[in-house]
Amino acid sequence: MNALGRVFSIEEFSVFDGPGIRTSVFLKGCNLHCSWCHNPEGQSKDIQIVKSPNGCLNCGACKKAALLLTGKEELCEASVAACPNKLIRISGEDYTAESLCDRLFKNQQFYETSGGGVTFSGGEPLMQSDFILACAKLLRGKVHLALQTAGMCKPEIFDRVLSEMDYVLFDIKLVREERLKRYTGADANIVYRNFDTLVKSGKDFVVRIPLIPGVTDTKENIADIIACLKGYGITYAEAMPYNKMAGAKYTMVGRTYQPDFDPAQDVYIPEKEFSENGIELCIL
Amino acid sequence: MTERIKRLREQIVNGTYQKNRSHKPILQDAETNCRNADEVFLAVLQEEQPYFLEGDRIGFYMYHTKRPKGCGAGNFIPNYGTYLTKGFGGVYKEIKEKMKSASGEEKKFGETAIHLLEGVFEYCNRFKEKAPKELKKALERVPYHAPQSYHEALVLLRICIHLQRMNYTVHVTLGRFDQYMYPFYKMDVQRGVSHDAILELTEEFFLSLNVDTDLYSGVQKGDNGQSMVLGGTDINGNSVFNELSRICMEASLELNLIDPKINLRVSKNTPIELFRFGTELTKQGMGFPQYCNDDVVIPGLIALGYEPEDAHNYGVAACWEYIVPDVSHDIPNVSVMNFPKVVNRAVHENLAEAKSFEAFAECVKMQLEKECDALIESVVYEDKPSVFHSLFFDPCIAHLKDYASGVCKYNNIGFHGVGIANAADAMAAVKKTVFCEKSISPETLKEALDKNFEGFDSLRQSLIDCPKMGNNDDFVDELGGFLMECFSNALACRRDKRGNRIRPGTGSAMFYLWSAEKVGATADGRLAQQAFGCSFSPAITSKLNGPLSVIQSFTKFDMTKIINGGPLTMEIHDTTFRNEFGMMKVAQLVKAFMDMGGHQLQLNAINRDTLLDAQKHPENYKGLIVRVWGWSGYFNELDIGYQNHIIARTEFQVS
Repeated sequence: MNALGRVFSIEEFSVFDGPGIRTSVFLKGCNLHCSWCHNPEGQSKDIQIVKSPNGCLNCGACKKAALLLTGKEELCEASVAACPNKLIRISGEDYTAESLCDRLFKNQQFYETSGGGVTFSGGEPLMQSDFILACAKLLRGKVHLALQTAGMCKPEIFDRVLSEMDYVLFDIKLVREERLKRYTGADANIVYRNFDTLVKSGKDFVVRIPLIPGVTDTKENIADIIACLKGYGITYAEAMPYNKMAGAKYTMVGRTYQPDFDPAQDVYIPEKEFSENGIELCIL
Repeated sequence: MTERIKRLREQIVNGTYQKNRSHKPILQDAETNCRNADEVFLAVLQEEQPYFLEGDRIGFYMYHTKRPKGCGAGNFIPNYGTYLTKGFGGVYKEIKEKMKSASGEEKKFGETAIHLLEGVFEYCNRFKEKAPKELKKALERVPYHAPQSYHEALVLLRICIHLQRMNYTVHVTLGRFDQYMYPFYKMDVQRGVSHDAILELTEEFFLSLNVDTDLYSGVQKGDNGQSMVLGGTDINGNSVFNELSRICMEASLELNLIDPKINLRVSKNTPIELFRFGTELTKQGMGFPQYCNDDVVIPGLIALGYEPEDAHNYGVAACWEYIVPDVSHDIPNVSVMNFPKVVNRAVHENLAEAKSFEAFAECVKMQLEKECDALIESVVYEDKPSVFHSLFFDPCIAHLKDYASGVCKYNNIGFHGVGIANAADAMAAVKKTVFCEKSISPETLKEALDKNFEGFDSLRQSLIDCPKMGNNDDFVDELGGFLMECFSNALACRRDKRGNRIRPGTGSAMFYLWSAEKVGATADGRLAQQAFGCSFSPAITSKLNGPLSVIQSFTKFDMTKIINGGPLTMEIHDTTFRNEFGMMKVAQLVKAFMDMGGHQLQLNAINRDTLLDAQKHPENYKGLIVRVWGWSGYFNELDIGYQNHIIARTEFQVS
């Protein structure tokens, strides 16, 4: 199996992606379309040219270089080197499992001494499940492996990858089927089937709840999530309040940030509701 | 923090006490110039006036803002323990006793010492008359008699510091406070004094270190030498981190002020919980604690010729230089090895003739050795004889000899080492482009460097794309090791003009800016005059994989061989510290660095946006503290060059 993986970032010392000191691999491409996503680079599976707007001299060197190479002004690889302020980069690099794992193994000593390891994140990492499995084959038994997922994939793929993981960070965004569909595009039947498998698998996991104003922090959704967790006897969850800077990266990939909620609204932090129901909610 | 401490802190932060001071010079320059250091000190003793903060129990600040230039020595750790156990009176009597059998120079030394100490007693008496009640009571005993309580010990220590300032000592360090103060802490505990009362006293003492600091600036304000060392391993391998060490950290945490700068001695046996506690301090953003690894430093010092007992007792000078208290008068910062300059010289003078990379590396070694000789030759010893300064070193008291005579047990010198990463990167680029790929000829490279890469954009880019130190890439890290090995070996077989050891180091002090200004474009792609990395750190322009790679790059070399001090400095985004996960992992990161053989580490909790905003709106950031090199300062008070360097360093951000 020579699956190539498309990675948009490798982060060393990613402290909020599982236990201990970890290296997180962010795989490119997502099958959801959450409008609060703070990582638009992760959404498209294509290799993209990313341009940081801060510090741009508007000198036109990037466009000139593109024109020279492709005949069009649309930024391309040549623009990267042309930018005098180094504001342009390529997002998305293809790795073989071997080359990625070589890199990941380099930090092995940190994983061992801190109880850490490697986390596959994204995007939706399960979209590149073959690649994850190829990596797991090389890493398993030597490195603690974690998966950060929204759970939207074929059950057989989920089960297969789950069996190779030591830890899962599972996103619970919305519980009601139609709202989950509307805001993320995910199918609740599949997501909660996979969640059910995870809980019953006996693997270590944590529930991650993005708190989005007016979307996931509503009374109704909080009550739904609590009911869901209580049903499984889960007593701990982590919440990630909406990051008001989430929109910043959209222009970098040539998109306009169009949230389908009011980002200026304050996020409601439902610590009280969770604790009343015997669930500790840790705010990340 | 108690209400009292809050009020005291406020007076200090607002600088209201400063209006009590006089700006009249104690001596005119001409008057200073015709006096020796001890005469200048006596004049200051006679002129100084006591003043106090409201509710002060510590006291002893400079009334005159214009101190005449006296002794001028700095960067050592005085024998506070001697005065704490014997009192100044004990030392006074000891000297008198010794004088009975002394003659010549020694007798003269003793006479001056007696005269000076009597001046000190008179000064303290004068001070006592005006002191607030509690301080007055302490002054009934100290400094003449040995203190009998923690409070009295703090007052005596404060007097030692104040006297050194009066003697124009440049950097007054605090050494191993938790060790020499511990007996007095114990006295109080046995007397039933509460933890809170001891914490409050400690905080008051710490506050006193933040008074007058405007008068003691070094290169920049904040560079005043007030470093304190906590914890450590004794000669039997036991940890000496004690309850008082913990109280010091608590006090620093509550006060959130620049001084004292906390250094933590740690080892492979240090529990993670202590690193976790240290991370609380790091989170404050002041850039300390700085961690020193006993497992590396102690063997390193022993290898340099320090006796094991002394090596185990090490502390740090103003920034990071490992020095021995009480008995040594090392000057750990006399000069600086400019690594990029040496490599650049080899590129210009030797590269064209080098048949292989190994041959080129030999030339770098030769250039480095030449530079060592030149540095040794250029060292200027500025030790101005000063009997009063000598009284802070046990060997001087024991032998009635001035420190400048070399009577101290160790009189070694130290060379900083600046730009190690830039230099290793430059060698790696030469190796890759000139020798491996043969894509650049030595002549073209030289021309490009001479023209500061003007018209050589793509050549420069290919140099920038070469491996950089900090990414755990052996190709370049080994060259960093090679340079350190050369530096270490060169100094191991050389002695300074006085015949003493020269200690190689990895600190940069301000030379990451100062030395860089004098170095033209370098083969790592760095433009002329562009700053080097600070101390033992990657180049500021390097694209880095992350902190784990940086740590591995900088722990590959056997650091015991290059042990003058100089930390790996890393910037970590302040959001990392926002909850227990982040805090614990930072602690684990520090521990991992130590376990891997790192010698010294200094972390900054930093947020570039905050710093940029602070440049635009300084009025909103009056209390913003940053680590500059071996010390922390108020961001607003730094020159723009230092501000920009901090902003330019890579901050590791976690999502």
